[in-house]
Amino acid sequence: MTPDSLPAVLSGGDGAERSSTVGVGADDPWHQRMRLERELHDGPALRLSALALRLGLMSHRCEDPALAEGIAGVQDELHAVLEELRNLAGKLYPPILDEAGLGPALRQVAEHTDAPIAIVDNSERFGPALEGATYFAVAECLAALPVGAPAVEVAISREGDELVLAVTGLEPGATGRLQETARSLGGRADVGPSGSVTARIPCA
Amino acid sequence: MRVALAEDGALFREGLQMLLEAAGHEIVGSVADGDAIVRLLATEPVDVAILDIRMPPEPDGGLTAAERLRALHPDIGLLFLSHYAESHYLMRILGIGTERVGYRLKEKVGSVDVLSDTLERIEGGEIVIEPVLAKRLVEKPQGDKKGLISALSEREIDVLRLMAEGRSNNGIAGQLFVTPKAVEKHIANIFDKLGLQADTAAHHRRVLAVLTYLRSQREDG
Repeated sequence: MTPDSLPAVLSGGDGAERSSTVGVGADDPWHQRMRLERELHDGPALRLSALALRLGLMSHRCEDPALAEGIAGVQDELHAVLEELRNLAGKLYPPILDEAGLGPALRQVAEHTDAPIAIVDNSERFGPALEGATYFAVAECLAALPVGAPAVEVAISREGDELVLAVTGLEPGATGRLQETARSLGGRADVGPSGSVTARIPCA
Repeated sequence: MRVALAEDGALFREGLQMLLEAAGHEIVGSVADGDAIVRLLATEPVDVAILDIRMPPEPDGGLTAAERLRALHPDIGLLFLSHYAESHYLMRILGIGTERVGYRLKEKVGSVDVLSDTLERIEGGEIVIEPVLAKRLVEKPQGDKKGLISALSEREIDVLRLMAEGRSNNGIAGQLFVTPKAVEKHIANIFDKLGLQADTAAHHRRVLAVLTYLRSQREDG
């Protein structure tokens, strides 16, 4: 990489042709996270994917089977690196959360988790800050589920001007995390029996 | 095969162009956004259009362009490339079309063989799904399907995984080194154990039944 190509990477890299709609004039932490995810996607991730294609072309042109096998191994490594970048991007702000909201984003977490998790929602949207804070709080609780945990249900709905988050089947220790998040967002959370929490958070 | 591609990352677009040429395909055009590919294909016939999902018009110009392309030219195959392989996007793709569609990770089409195999299967009418995603769907079915999946034999799970990749009976037979007849038998057993209606006539409808089954939850149908 030449030194003068660096600023292009930082400003969106290879995907700089696009006109980003994310975070124009918005400097809150959630918009910053969205921008960082976007930079990972448009910069290093795209560059690595393009590298995988270049290696494929080299492999096609080389006549040494051992070398072709070696190239395939490097491509597998690139895939592993990209998996790590995808994990990292998910910790910043999963693009599906911005695009489709809490229900689909949490359903994606459920698909990547061993424990049986059901997500109930009716596609309501609550804005980046509320969705971001709620998503990461719930995702953290789900990640803490032990192997062989019983079924967990996460229900998201809007009642008047409140986001209502009802979770059942959590580990007893995990309910505090949701209470804390609800309080930090100006809401409250009631803990019920057997790992159930109902949080009510004001939303505009 | 005649192909066109739309991808807003110049480096990746150029890399894909070179690989397609090396594989002996004819590139009729290469553009950077969804509107441009719709304009291009208004006059240029192609077999398959290759689309980046996340490109202008934001946020997912590949999907909106594909909807328009499917309506205007129902015979054109659609290959979606993305940095993410997630069932949310798969369901959106299957909402656009259930025949001649493919969904693969960008870094996974980096070989002449894989790229050509993917394009040929799409042109042949199949659904092509990123193996990583198909595997995850089979190993982590939604809702209360886990018990039923665990009733399948190891070989039946292999067949189910390859079905979830959208492979035809012959394709599955080739991957597992068995006869198409044996595959048919496994599929009948799988459908029986999962309680699915076997529609043996239409390949894409059977694949769709499997995907819907693995993905559907009690609550959201």
